[in-house]
Amino acid sequence: MTDDPKISQRYRELPREEPPRHVDEAILAAARRAVVSRPAPLVVPSGRRRWYFPLAAAAIIVLAVAVTIHVERQELDAEVFEAVTSPKAPPEEKVAQPERPAEPASPRVFAPDPKPQRQVEPPAPQAEQSRQQAPAAVPQAKPEASKREALMREEARARASREPDTVSGALGARLSSTYASPEQWLQGIADLRRQGRHDEADKALAEFRRTYPDYKISEAMLEKVEKK
Amino acid sequence: MEAPDEELMLAYRGGDAGAFETLYKRHRGGLYRFVLRAIKQRSSAEELFQEVWIRVIEARNRYAPQARFTTWLYTIAHNLLVDHWRRKGLSLVQLDEEPAVAAPDNPARQAEARETLARLVHAIEALPAAQREAFLLHEEGGLSVAEIAAVTGAGEEAAKSRLRYAMAKLKAAVDEN
Repeated sequence: MTDDPKISQRYRELPREEPPRHVDEAILAAARRAVVSRPAPLVVPSGRRRWYFPLAAAAIIVLAVAVTIHVERQELDAEVFEAVTSPKAPPEEKVAQPERPAEPASPRVFAPDPKPQRQVEPPAPQAEQSRQQAPAAVPQAKPEASKREALMREEARARASREPDTVSGALGARLSSTYASPEQWLQGIADLRRQGRHDEADKALAEFRRTYPDYKISEAMLEKVEKK
Repeated sequence: MEAPDEELMLAYRGGDAGAFETLYKRHRGGLYRFVLRAIKQRSSAEELFQEVWIRVIEARNRYAPQARFTTWLYTIAHNLLVDHWRRKGLSLVQLDEEPAVAAPDNPARQAEARETLARLVHAIEALPAAQREAFLLHEEGGLSVAEIAAVTGAGEEAAKSRLRYAMAKLKAAVDEN
């Protein structure tokens, strides 16, 4: 007698409590945030679109190489121009600079095909350029950050504090890749506990439970991994 | 035709937040009542209910439809309930044997308990935790005996026996009149 329609019917007559609205909102916001922080899934190209991605990648590479060469040439032109026009620079001074052997005398600088070894060197102006561009990315991130903050505040109504999902997810992924199986991970936690490293054990156990929420830890193992 | 839970969870894993919303709306009531009636304290129940869903969200990339989504969801809830009881110093196994709450002997409450539903509520509250859990998994989650066994980690016989005892006690309470 595991099924009794009469009991089931009576049970259905009881008040049907539902979660409060703020709990619903917090959970749905957390669910949305978790997938919004992920990059959009790539559509698998098919048919004629199959060659779009390799072509785009090749175009980007060609463009990057062209820009690098162009920037280098401009730099060399400037240096040569400076050397030629500077009245103070005596000819001996140029000879006495052994640390710049890669830069040949002026006629070779204007050669259409620069030496390959110069191409593979990291171009300093580009690094400078990227440093200058970095602050420009901050204002773009601001609306995204405020949106995220609003969502977090929403969730905080029900949950006082919590690590961001992406952070805990990354930690979980790192830890779960360290151990081949959940059992090994638990054994690792038990070892930490035995060594008296309780803070680490607590963190690892919390992470384990997030990563494997449906895993049933046996009573014997619980004794080993839980704080007494 | 409605999309099955497992399909929705896979869609959510793939980045579809709308799929999660559908899934959530489908299970929020049942899971909430399961948790609320299992621990009987609204604030803790809300916290635990929320924690179950946060675990679902966090574990989405590991989700594989090996069993029904409901079984997976209620297994997570069961694990969190066990943690909750352990923190309170209670053990599910010990509570399996004897009722945790004595039947009301106060005359006023007896009178009140003449109402069938009120008696049913008392009877559910008076069930040992494991029997109550089995009953709630059956009624709120729609789980079969085999699924209750899978969720709770008990053998199928134990799950069947818990459910049978729970039903018998509730029937006796309802039939008192």
